[in-house]
Amino acid sequence: MACACVVLAGGRSSRMGTSKAALEWHGSTLLYRTAGIVARATSGPVVVVRAAGQDLPALPRGAVVVEDPRQGKGPVQGIAAGLAALRGQAEAAFICSTDLPFLHPAFVRRVLRPLAERDGPDVALPVARGHQQPLAAAYRVSLAGAAEGLVSAGRLRPAFLFEECRLERLEEATLRQDPVLAALDPYLDSVLNVNEPADYAAARARPAPEVTVQLFGEFAREGGGRGPRAVRAATVGQAATAVGLEVGRHVTAALNGDQITRDPQAPLAAGDTVFFMSADAGG
Amino acid sequence: MDVTTGDARALPLPEHVLRAYLGGAGLGAWLLHRLGPAGADPLAPQAPLAFVFSPLVGTPLTTSAKFAVVAKSPLTGLLTDALASSQFAIAGKLTGHDAIVVTGRAQAASVLLVDGEGARLIDAADLAGMSATDTGHRLAGRLGRGWRVAAIGPAGERGVRYATISHDGRHAGRGGLGAVMGAKNLKAIAVRAAAKVAVADQAAVLAAARGLRERSFGPATAKYRELGTLANLLAFNAIAALPTRNFQAATFEGAGRLGPQAGPEPAAGERAVPPADLAGMRRVARSSCASCTIGCEHIYRAGGGKSGARQARVEYENVFALGPLCGISDPAAVLAASAKCDDLGIDTISAGGTIAWAMECAERGLLDAGWLRFGDAGALLRALDEIGTRGTPLGDLLARGSRSASAAVGGGSDAFAPHVKGLEMPGYEPRTLHAMALGLAVNARGADHNRSGAYEADLSGDLDRLDGGDAHVAAAIETEDRAAVMDSMILCKFLRGVFTDPFAEWAALLAAVTGWAVTGAELRATARRIVLAKRVYNIREGWRPEQDWLPDRLLSEPLGLPSGRVAALTPARLRAMIDAYYKSRGLDHEGRPGPEATAGLRLA
Repeated sequence: MACACVVLAGGRSSRMGTSKAALEWHGSTLLYRTAGIVARATSGPVVVVRAAGQDLPALPRGAVVVEDPRQGKGPVQGIAAGLAALRGQAEAAFICSTDLPFLHPAFVRRVLRPLAERDGPDVALPVARGHQQPLAAAYRVSLAGAAEGLVSAGRLRPAFLFEECRLERLEEATLRQDPVLAALDPYLDSVLNVNEPADYAAARARPAPEVTVQLFGEFAREGGGRGPRAVRAATVGQAATAVGLEVGRHVTAALNGDQITRDPQAPLAAGDTVFFMSADAGG
Repeated sequence: MDVTTGDARALPLPEHVLRAYLGGAGLGAWLLHRLGPAGADPLAPQAPLAFVFSPLVGTPLTTSAKFAVVAKSPLTGLLTDALASSQFAIAGKLTGHDAIVVTGRAQAASVLLVDGEGARLIDAADLAGMSATDTGHRLAGRLGRGWRVAAIGPAGERGVRYATISHDGRHAGRGGLGAVMGAKNLKAIAVRAAAKVAVADQAAVLAAARGLRERSFGPATAKYRELGTLANLLAFNAIAALPTRNFQAATFEGAGRLGPQAGPEPAAGERAVPPADLAGMRRVARSSCASCTIGCEHIYRAGGGKSGARQARVEYENVFALGPLCGISDPAAVLAASAKCDDLGIDTISAGGTIAWAMECAERGLLDAGWLRFGDAGALLRALDEIGTRGTPLGDLLARGSRSASAAVGGGSDAFAPHVKGLEMPGYEPRTLHAMALGLAVNARGADHNRSGAYEADLSGDLDRLDGGDAHVAAAIETEDRAAVMDSMILCKFLRGVFTDPFAEWAALLAAVTGWAVTGAELRATARRIVLAKRVYNIREGWRPEQDWLPDRLLSEPLGLPSGRVAALTPARLRAMIDAYYKSRGLDHEGRPGPEATAGLRLA
């Protein structure tokens, strides 16, 4: 099943007092980090929904920006706009807000999983850390029309959308049964958002995730630190710096033996392994 | 040179041909069009074998001492061109010729001599059965100073269809050129310089040479300088791009023993690198081809004990093909197998690929060779011996390559025969490198990593290597075009990373050497012409559209990655990429050029 993701960046950030999308967290912005994390967990497009005319910070390559045509209508409007942009491109989408610094790809994959099952639900809704998490949930793209209808009818709460579809609640115990998620995000910090300056300060006080770095080829010379080593890094660039490298024309990074990148802003999550190797590959 | 009659003649090459095809692989394709009778058996006397030099060889430009050997391949039945580097290239060019083309079949085993006095044959009866290295040494003693020798080993004499032509320990390796030479009863060709290379603008050439040399010491070549191409092995294993056990897997549990470096740092008191690992056999020494400032050849100690020690040059491809592809992790065995390939004069990639296929056949009960098992080093060495001598039915079968052998064995073994167009696959897993998958499928030479370096795009981070699409097609075309020019003018592709505006920079080099007012745009057109000329030659020789394809296994058996992602290359995805490639190349839906595409080929 083709899965995509939607990041809602058009909120007013009224309690924060400044655009949350542009807030810095360990060398990146919240928007860049969130968009990068969800992109790692899905194969489809990344859609960023913004308010009309809203300035956004830089985005990962390939992210598509759509404008929310109706402002001030709350999250269901954002969900409607995001799903509408994905019509014909994906069957399901993980939809989240931009203010999730601890979001983990393993959480995104786990939440999307029910929608891939035969006769799966239309919405997979995590219930974590004491709250329903409609802005860290999975939605079937075919709900776009229903969401638009609700907004037109002035029924702006996500609960109204859930009344009109097949909903599967993902309780904490259920989520923790996933061994990968339990290992990498045991406290379900993925859903921790930052609404107020105090939240943001607390998030910034937490260290960058611990990742494992391994060097290959000429970067693993004697004294250069061959072999796996643990470092604290929230981005590929920070991980490179930790081992005396700079990603770019001649240095690439492979995340968990999978995606290869030269983007220093590419986000890292707890438990990631980063291989640094020569960009001048092959023979 | 017609070695049947001993008649030699010099044929003028019009400047417009040289400008259109440059030299090396490009000019070789033109020569095959003009001098090769359509439909001729590759091992027939009338099939030409061309040693083709280049505009840049003989100048002080680093890595330019290369030449191409071009012929119709006995392995694929299509065009093959193999490049190699040595003083042979310089001496050959300085005979005063842009190419030496051989036809016919000598009455007895012979050596072809070419120098300023012309071309002639001498007897080679005393060289029968010798390795190429020993042949070179023997001839050096017999001919005296100044002669440079390219020779075949016993496998070439016996018609192994992936036999090589070698000189100074370097090989024109792919496609069975050694068998073509052997079919002409030529054990060796020796060349001696008789002239000097004149360049159009000496000052500009010297300045360019200085600049290029300085850049060759920079980060773009560090991988080759520090570790050589073997640096790929552990990195490819980490990203599931290392073909293992005949492409049944893309990671190899024994890879750590075959890398150029030690594994994780040892605890206090532990020995740093067990000597039984390849890293422990690495010596400080490295070597360069003639006229090269990179020095990618890293020397390893092969064999046991001080008296039995032998030095070996180690490359990624021979370690991949004789190691993980055959399930073998013993580095001493891999080096011994590589040395045996050198002594016999056979291509390590085709040898490893064919034996890996045979190992799988044996394990499935399709071949009556119970001793042939993945991971058995003794079996690998025995199989190489049997191939090199063609002394057993199995050796004779495997000497034909995996395509022909699978057709004979049947039982569905063609589905996992690791070849494209008959040429065995190099060490790049197509399911996890989608741009490379396209490059391997459509390349004129067959499964080839030198005429299509599309893996560069897969490993660049600029696109998703597991999600092949239009960007992968564009990247495959670009790398194919770049290779066409580099292989024709000729510069080593290990230098490719130092160029920031390659076609324009290459045009400037050519202009300084030749005096042509060539531009980057002209070179781009030249690249497309060369690529197309090879395809047109193949069509003439019986290429069929279904040959632009990959083995069934790669399209039907997905691979799981450590990240949890599944790497699959579906037939539909490959078809879509090939269709887009054809369209961009100006070909029809079957991969054939129309009149518009062929108009600029200047083959007539």
